[in-house]
Amino acid sequence: MLDQPVSGGRFISEGPVVTLEGEIDLAVAPSLRENLGRLLEEGHCDIFVDLLDATFLDSIALGVLVGALEQCRASGGDLHLVVTEPRILRVLEITGLSNTFTIHSSRDALPGQSFNNDSGSSVEEVSQK
Amino acid sequence: MMEQMADPLASEQRETIELSFPAQPGLVVLARFAAATMAARAGFDVEEIEDLRLAVDELCVSFGPMSEDGCVRMELDRDHDTVSIVGSFEPFARPRAVGQERTDSSWEKAAELSELLLDSLVDDHGRENRNGKSVAWLRKRRASTR
Repeated sequence: MLDQPVSGGRFISEGPVVTLEGEIDLAVAPSLRENLGRLLEEGHCDIFVDLLDATFLDSIALGVLVGALEQCRASGGDLHLVVTEPRILRVLEITGLSNTFTIHSSRDALPGQSFNNDSGSSVEEVSQK
Repeated sequence: MMEQMADPLASEQRETIELSFPAQPGLVVLARFAAATMAARAGFDVEEIEDLRLAVDELCVSFGPMSEDGCVRMELDRDHDTVSIVGSFEPFARPRAVGQERTDSSWEKAAELSELLLDSLVDDHGRENRNGKSVAWLRKRRASTR
């Protein structure tokens, strides 16, 4: 069995901003769920998911985002998506979620954050266990 | 007038790829790669190739959480401009019945979303339980021939 990372997805988490890169699929979903859950536990009820560098999103990853959205709204906040990739927008459209999420088309919508990883953000490469 | 280039694959109108991998989430990328390759060889355009990549991923999703307790087998067939994929999850030990493999609400939500995606991405799809094995299939035809 392979134990090397073969799926290209990864995320960077800093404050209420989660940046997803590459292919966000069922290999990435468990870590994503855990990360979003941690943000909610820390009291963030407005969470931003930056998908500008994501190239693929499947139903499992989308299900995780929907779950987090429901929890954010239950806490009086929201889960914001930053996305321009047509394939991901199409997935949102097909599933009828394009009007459910608050969608932004640029990082201008993100709260002022530095993406310098030396400043305490956590970067997780998704690897196959 | 532009001259059409001869398709080097024209004589290879039918082909099959068989793929087998341990049920690990990180290996589903192999199914996406195989599906994209076959779609390209069938003359699908870029969007259709992406549709098939996502569809085969959703087909794997239909097997439920992958936890190394089984093996995913796939047969990808191209017949002219149609790609058909049959996948099965074969447990190493106790069989999982269809519908029993999802363990939490996010999987239930994902199943609904997955169904919507497959309805939109491919021409036909389905799943069933065959002798304790979860079997899922899909078929997609090149748009220009529909």
